[in-house]
Amino acid sequence: MANTDFWSGSNKYLCDPQLAQAFHMSRVLGMPLLIEGEPGTGKTELPIQYATDKNLKLFVYPVGSKSNVESFVARFDHVKYLRDSQVEILNAQRDEKGLKSKMSTGGRDTESLADYVIQGPAAKAFSTPNSVLLIDEIDKAPREFPNDLLYALSHRKFVMPESGEIIEVTEENMPAIIITSNREQELPTAFKGRCIYHYIHFPEADVMRAIIAKHKLAMDDKVIDVAIDIFYHLRKLGLERSPTTREILNWLKYIKTFSTKEALEKIQKLEGMGSLIKTQTDLERVQQAIFKNSGDFQKRSMSN
Amino acid sequence: MFETLPERFREHGVDTDVRTLLLLNKAMHRGLVKTLGDMFNVLKGIVVKDPDTLGPFTKAYYDYFLNIEIESGERLDDAILRSETFKKWRDDKFEAIKDLDFDSERLVDEFLNDVHLTSYDIKEIINGKNLIDDDNEVKDSGDFSNELEQQRRLLEKMADYSGMSLEELLIRLEEIAKQQRGKHNGGSRWIGTGGISPFGHGGAAKEGLRIGGTGGGKMARKILNDRRFFPVDRDVIVNDNNVDAALASLKGIIEESAYEQLDIKKTIKNGLRRGGLFIPELVNEKNQKLQVMLLIDNGGYSMSPYVYTVQNLFKKMKTRFAHDLESYYFHNTIYDVVYSDSRRTKPVSIETILKKDPNYRIFIIGDAAMASYEINRTSVDAYKALTKKFKKIAWLNPEPKSHWYYTMTIGFLGELVPMFPLTPKGIEEAVQKMNKISNTKLD
Repeated sequence: MANTDFWSGSNKYLCDPQLAQAFHMSRVLGMPLLIEGEPGTGKTELPIQYATDKNLKLFVYPVGSKSNVESFVARFDHVKYLRDSQVEILNAQRDEKGLKSKMSTGGRDTESLADYVIQGPAAKAFSTPNSVLLIDEIDKAPREFPNDLLYALSHRKFVMPESGEIIEVTEENMPAIIITSNREQELPTAFKGRCIYHYIHFPEADVMRAIIAKHKLAMDDKVIDVAIDIFYHLRKLGLERSPTTREILNWLKYIKTFSTKEALEKIQKLEGMGSLIKTQTDLERVQQAIFKNSGDFQKRSMSN
Repeated sequence: MFETLPERFREHGVDTDVRTLLLLNKAMHRGLVKTLGDMFNVLKGIVVKDPDTLGPFTKAYYDYFLNIEIESGERLDDAILRSETFKKWRDDKFEAIKDLDFDSERLVDEFLNDVHLTSYDIKEIINGKNLIDDDNEVKDSGDFSNELEQQRRLLEKMADYSGMSLEELLIRLEEIAKQQRGKHNGGSRWIGTGGISPFGHGGAAKEGLRIGGTGGGKMARKILNDRRFFPVDRDVIVNDNNVDAALASLKGIIEESAYEQLDIKKTIKNGLRRGGLFIPELVNEKNQKLQVMLLIDNGGYSMSPYVYTVQNLFKKMKTRFAHDLESYYFHNTIYDVVYSDSRRTKPVSIETILKKDPNYRIFIIGDAAMASYEINRTSVDAYKALTKKFKKIAWLNPEPKSHWYYTMTIGFLGELVPMFPLTPKGIEEAVQKMNKISNTKLD
């Protein structure tokens, strides 16, 4: 039961302790972990980093508006099956006529239906002990998908279409299942009831500093302090789309290319803001705010 | 165990039932609950299913397990400071903190650290110790198990709870929970016997205080001070705070229309069964689509407070779905024209509106309060034509429903167009009604 050890992050990924505990809990109880929170709080990163750090196999199912349980578990490739059966007839006809050349079915045998089953991430994860299964952005799915999924997950057993092959997993070998959601759609209560729920709060400034440190940007602390200060100031403006962790990292990567003095100037003028602010109305709003407190912004960077 | 928990949590509006207890029991048997802090986290994972319940849950937890009642709008700090539990804790800790001259905020910090201390924190502290002891993190797997064993023993030494069997622990936690009604007869006996803090008396934590932790207490404080973590009142007129709740109801209007498409799978399957005779089979292809039209009354003082929020609501909607969303404006009531701009300079005739796809969902937003002579023949005809053409139509009224009766024009227009209050709940009802219409139509 290697999968029930507590994991608190790796040297590249700072896992929020509360999230780490919820994740641990979900694995111990053998339930999926449902993570919600603002974009850019590292929801998707958790399973990816966990799998890399622990050297486990990761299976990802990105959810879209056309998602269904078939593509998640397994589907039967009817077209290929048709092609191969036609090829067989063709080959038999050629045989009759004494022709040597034959068409190949690529090693597939129409007698063995399992050859035509295309396994989805769920079937693959269930046949790999102690793997990690990420179901990303489930809120993008059609309304009935979460409930279908629930049924599929709660049985720890899949029956492959047509071939009838059964993929089963013991509770000990259950993959760690992580489901993420941006809350664009309310999920069914029954679905949530079967998951361990965790809501990621946006990291506070000190945590943000630690996250940035994990990315080893090799920058002057002073520059980072000023940037973080302004970043949280921007978040307080109530923008349509507030900048997130991803944005500040990108911004810092841009700032990094300059010397400390230049960098501080750039930050003061909010240069490279395109990586922080993503809509036109927000941009106008920020410019207004700068105009109003231009003194304030300057004081911030001077005092640091 | 904790039979009273569901009932008591329900008093705080937190959904709990016997399944909660079963899951909690499972978690305990698998060793997930070793401290009171663990209890908070485990219960949170089981019970809380959206950010809205975080607030009530935290309140319920403090009430049930710590006998700290947080009154509405009260800061966590104040509630803690006036509680018996805190006073007992402080007396208990007196030796460790008497020389440190903490102010009340720092004291509450320490209290929260103890209350929210989890077994993970304890492990972390031990790990931290190991790291200082030898800088070399890299070890071969051989003595790794040895190290784990060492860790386990250290953990046992540090946490009073670990020496207990599960039964004992359960009894103890149950006692903690029962304490809360016994305020006046001495109360918190358990605090004296090791207390909420697994460091309790003696043990490895004689030095008393600890820095850091997973910040469970800090988070609890933040949650209780933030309105976002309490459910919005769904009967309050849409405003900046509950606009997201209203949006959630609006999401119901995405329509899944169906059109027919060739079903390749079925065609092949049946074709093979027929021995190679392929007859196309058809299937309904689902497609999501959203067509919404807003007719907003932006004239007069009575409506002006709502125009901004209403637009904000539907703008958010538009950025999410980027489909057809059209807004038109009118003053008090609709005659033969509406306007495509908010300053009402660009008229669009009702005729033009009536030429649109009948599947549009129409929301008329206005207080419907005006002098009765303003609703004349033209106006009545306009509403009749609209409701005849667009079956999915609703009037959303920001005026509280209890006032509707007193305004004649509201009653009259309500007869012409189905009317709902402009609250998250009202919007939901309107949407549900619309969805019913589309369903009967498709059948």
